[in-house]
Amino acid sequence: MTLAELQALLHGRITGMVPGRDDELRDHVVARPPLDALERVEIYSRMYLHRLVDAVAEDVPHVSRVIGHDAFVELVRAYLHEHPSRSPDIGQAGRHFGAWLRTYRGIRADLPDLALLERARSEVRTAPDAPVAGAAELQSLDPEALPGARFLFSPSLRVLRLQHDVRPLWDSLEEDSGDVPEPIPGASTLAVWRQEFKVFHTGLSEPEARALMVAREGGTLEDVCATFAGEPDPAHTAFKAVLSWFADGWVAAVTSRRA
Amino acid sequence: MVPFLGHGVGLRTKHFPDLLEQGRRADWFEVITENFLNVGGRPRAVLEAVRRDRPVVLHGVSLSVGSVDPLDTTYLRDVRALADAVEPAWVSDHLCWGTFGRHNAHDLLPMPFTEESLAHVVARVSEVQEQLGRRILLENVSSYLTYAESRIPEWDFLAEVARRADCLLLLDVNNVFVSATNHGFEAGEFLRGIPVDRVGQFHLAGHQDLGTHLLDTHDAPVPDPVWALYRDAVRRFGRVSTLVEWDDHIPPLDEVLAEAEKARAFEKTVLEEAA
Repeated sequence: MTLAELQALLHGRITGMVPGRDDELRDHVVARPPLDALERVEIYSRMYLHRLVDAVAEDVPHVSRVIGHDAFVELVRAYLHEHPSRSPDIGQAGRHFGAWLRTYRGIRADLPDLALLERARSEVRTAPDAPVAGAAELQSLDPEALPGARFLFSPSLRVLRLQHDVRPLWDSLEEDSGDVPEPIPGASTLAVWRQEFKVFHTGLSEPEARALMVAREGGTLEDVCATFAGEPDPAHTAFKAVLSWFADGWVAAVTSRRA
Repeated sequence: MVPFLGHGVGLRTKHFPDLLEQGRRADWFEVITENFLNVGGRPRAVLEAVRRDRPVVLHGVSLSVGSVDPLDTTYLRDVRALADAVEPAWVSDHLCWGTFGRHNAHDLLPMPFTEESLAHVVARVSEVQEQLGRRILLENVSSYLTYAESRIPEWDFLAEVARRADCLLLLDVNNVFVSATNHGFEAGEFLRGIPVDRVGQFHLAGHQDLGTHLLDTHDAPVPDPVWALYRDAVRRFGRVSTLVEWDDHIPPLDEVLAEAEKARAFEKTVLEEAA
């Protein structure tokens, strides 16, 4: 058997992606008492699953706790079958878990959203560092250039569109209060970010969520303000929102159209 | 060859507060490369703080140098960028494979020790060294299976890879002990088969005895038989930078540092006896 054939055989069995072929494994893996060939391969299979369960659980500790260990192991096993790890960093193994969980039935309805929040918090914690721009950078622009100003956001900012408000659930699990609230259905948008080493999340109003989306997609300050057009006192609301982006450290830089 | 750094410990998240508040009390630190690729926040800040006053070594777990998959050039580019930023004393990874069809098993799977594997690994190590712009150290892994195809003793395979690819070796003393027990070879024969001038680093760690086999768990103090083998290794290879790995059930930093001090004391005794 060639090196490639041997690796295909063993990898398929260890990861569970290609079951069967036990007779072939017996021919190519040496049995040495007290373990036969398949028992030796099984050591690696068990370690594969447990290592990846630990990695995903590290991303979503509250979700794994709510689901319970044994059920969580089975969930991760099913998840890995559809989303095998493609990254050299095992910390990325769970990056699709929340989205995948949305396709899964038989669990609390808001757990996929909680998983998405937990994963975002995990990503933000170690996201690449970036400079933080203050509102003064916006104010320093030529008044004529101000409407054309664009924002460059910190790589540690995440915006989540969720189907439940999971903030009370997250708070309860984080505080370990024992009082787990019922799911709160309804669309919600959360921003997740880091200041220094501390991770935060907050809910965004629908107008602010729209404005932030426009700004993140390269829209100008004028475009951002326009998203508040239907609001009472739109100019004040728009500037209050934009100034809060600076205050929370979401903005890494401001550029003007003329620059 | 690589410099002698003394007796170090792995840089682990649990010890970040201690390291920041009480200073860097090991001779040097080994960093799991993948934990710091494209990373900011506290991990990066701690790494930079540690690096300011201690040597650091990058130790990878995902090179998968023995895999038949194409080398992951994005990964290698990221490792090189990290190495350029951190300026480690050296970069190391394992003689193993872990990916197939780009699916990462996140394990250090043993190679079949054949002429085909040897040629494959030598070519890959040469390519890696070219892409990283430096020589690497390759570590022997703990293993729980061997292949019917293998024709070359593991130690000869390692020695030949090092010679042909002109790389260095990271001799994991615990892994030698674990594999020797699991496969019934003599650990001393392994040590004698490794060329003295190729070993740039030792690893020490704990393991678990599961009755049917030893499992390389890195979750306990270095056991006495591994200390005995370490003394044999120092007798053969002399003064080599030594690192204590502790990756699970991680105790307070002082306990890990005490293991590094124990290694220093054993090394001193052996070298004094030899003098």
